[in-house]
Amino acid sequence: MKHGFKVGDADYDIGLSRTADGYCLHLGSEHFAFQLRPAEAGGWILASGSEVDHLAIAVDGDQVHIHLDGETYQLRFEHALQRLAELNESSAADVIRSAMPGNLISLDVAVGDHVKQGQTLLMMESMKMETTIVAPRDGVVAELHVAPGQSFDKDALLLTLEAQPDD
Amino acid sequence: MQSSTTSWPFDTVLVANRGEIAVRILRSIKALGLKGVVVYHAADAASPAVALADVAIEISGDTPVAAYLDGAQIINAALGSGAGAIHPGYGFLSENAEFARAVAAARLIFVGPTPEQIELMGDKVRARAFVEKAGFPVAPSAIEDDDPASFVERARQVALPILIKPAAGGGGKGMRVVRDPALLEQEIERARSEGLRYFGDGRLYVERYIENPRHIEVQVLGDAHGNVVHLFERECSVQRRFQKIIEETPSPALSPEQRQTICDTAAGIARSVNYRNAGTVEFIYGAGGEFYFLETNTRLQVEHPVTEQITGIDLAEQQLRIAAGETLPFSQADIQAQGHALEFRIYAEDAAAGFTPTTGPVLQWTPPTGPGVRLDSGIAQGQNISAAFDPMLAKLIITGANREQAIARADQALRELILLGCQTNIGFLRRVLNHPAFVSGQVHTGFLDAHPELAAGPELDHPSLLKLLATAALMTRPLRDAADAVPDMHAAMGAWRN
Repeated sequence: MKHGFKVGDADYDIGLSRTADGYCLHLGSEHFAFQLRPAEAGGWILASGSEVDHLAIAVDGDQVHIHLDGETYQLRFEHALQRLAELNESSAADVIRSAMPGNLISLDVAVGDHVKQGQTLLMMESMKMETTIVAPRDGVVAELHVAPGQSFDKDALLLTLEAQPDD
Repeated sequence: MQSSTTSWPFDTVLVANRGEIAVRILRSIKALGLKGVVVYHAADAASPAVALADVAIEISGDTPVAAYLDGAQIINAALGSGAGAIHPGYGFLSENAEFARAVAAARLIFVGPTPEQIELMGDKVRARAFVEKAGFPVAPSAIEDDDPASFVERARQVALPILIKPAAGGGGKGMRVVRDPALLEQEIERARSEGLRYFGDGRLYVERYIENPRHIEVQVLGDAHGNVVHLFERECSVQRRFQKIIEETPSPALSPEQRQTICDTAAGIARSVNYRNAGTVEFIYGAGGEFYFLETNTRLQVEHPVTEQITGIDLAEQQLRIAAGETLPFSQADIQAQGHALEFRIYAEDAAAGFTPTTGPVLQWTPPTGPGVRLDSGIAQGQNISAAFDPMLAKLIITGANREQAIARADQALRELILLGCQTNIGFLRRVLNHPAFVSGQVHTGFLDAHPELAAGPELDHPSLLKLLATAALMTRPLRDAADAVPDMHAAMGAWRN
């Protein structure tokens, strides 16, 4: 069975198997045999052939954070079912998410309001700058997920529009 | 060089700030044998400042930031905790003259300048006019308010290129550079409409635009008895979005004569207002060696540690002594600088995505160690980085006998500094540090814009990709369990695949 990992914006399908003295990563037709063990002084030792690297690793749910050679990387494990679900998710334009962490300054609409494409929905602040979020299409505001003054993370759900009937 | 205060007018100081600077100030308060109180919003309950303070008092607000801007609530906390002085740190209420007045009205000591000094120096147009009148260099300029009818003509006489700025402005908003005389009137109208939109005020002023300038500032200290000294300069030319990210002292750009001139000028400006407190006089410094007054910051500066490293003077301690009414314990001749110091601001941000802030849990936080390494940090493992506050997490300050040694130590320290769980700019800082222009000291405020490849970062090479995927796979339960479920006998056969 193949598993997906996201590194930055790229997706990789990989497999993992045991070897006599460690594990083997399978990526496409490539095989990468390696051993990973805790280091006495803290952190981890990754060994592959004659190459040895010292790593720091932290796992947080589906996220694996790795510090390698002075740079930090974030990899996300993608469950097969979740990936399937994302493909079938209702029109992305129904939900409005924040592209960056920030604070909500003001809401210009209320639940039940009819909005036109391009109409201002809310104003947020991030990096000491104000950003206006506008309606991606005509529709009716179904739900508001944030209140003025509230701060939120990247990708936070801000507002939902009523689903469009299928034509 | 230390004087000894036998009786402080206060035995407890409240720090009206958060993060790394609250920790920094509390350390000096405690080292003087005084008691440190900190106010905090619930979002900071797990922060090191709260852990370090003798007393921590929770404050609230519509937003976390609003809590730290609520002067009345903070003054009440000070009175309730028996504090006799309030140290504002930087940002928040530190340059708010009304707050300084309210603190005094509550019979508390404001660790800072007088309200009048904050007002004079905080208004950019007024400060420029004052400094020019006192005979110090300001960039050639024209102020619309002086005579609106002749503004365009006077702007033309400033000589191109010029920079148009909104009189009410700040943070780079509404500023426009004009290089072509034919476009002057059109650009003035654009700047005016931007000023109206951003600040509700369309008044403008123009000044000579210095191409690719350096940002050089001078640390000053003044006491309540009219004594003013400077503690040399800092160069802060590496900036993104008008915010400094790497600062150093001494500046690699100045000759000894230029250093003397710029430092004496700064001290003279501070002396002309009888400045009391630690303060910073900022200048822009052109490629031809000309320098002009930019503004004064009437507070402790984010980058103050580099000055402390080369002078051995604790600036937060001096602020407290000055507020207590002491005379400066040193004269200008007593202040000697030794070595070279660099400061790196560690931000929770994604450099490749236009420096957008990032959030997340602090899963691992490993400070670097070694000679010349100082870390002023406001975070701890287990804390959560939220979007509620400024994304600066910590400052790494590196000192060496000279610039070359400081750079080498900094590279190693930035490799060792690990924060896992929330993306930071640590890798980006190392790329900037190792850029030939930085190594040779040839940077200006447009340096990062001219080198977008530094923010974008290198492509992930294939061998590293394999290492990362292998590590992540083994650390992910479903994959490891599936691999381990295969009997050893099969595993020993080697190239088993699913």
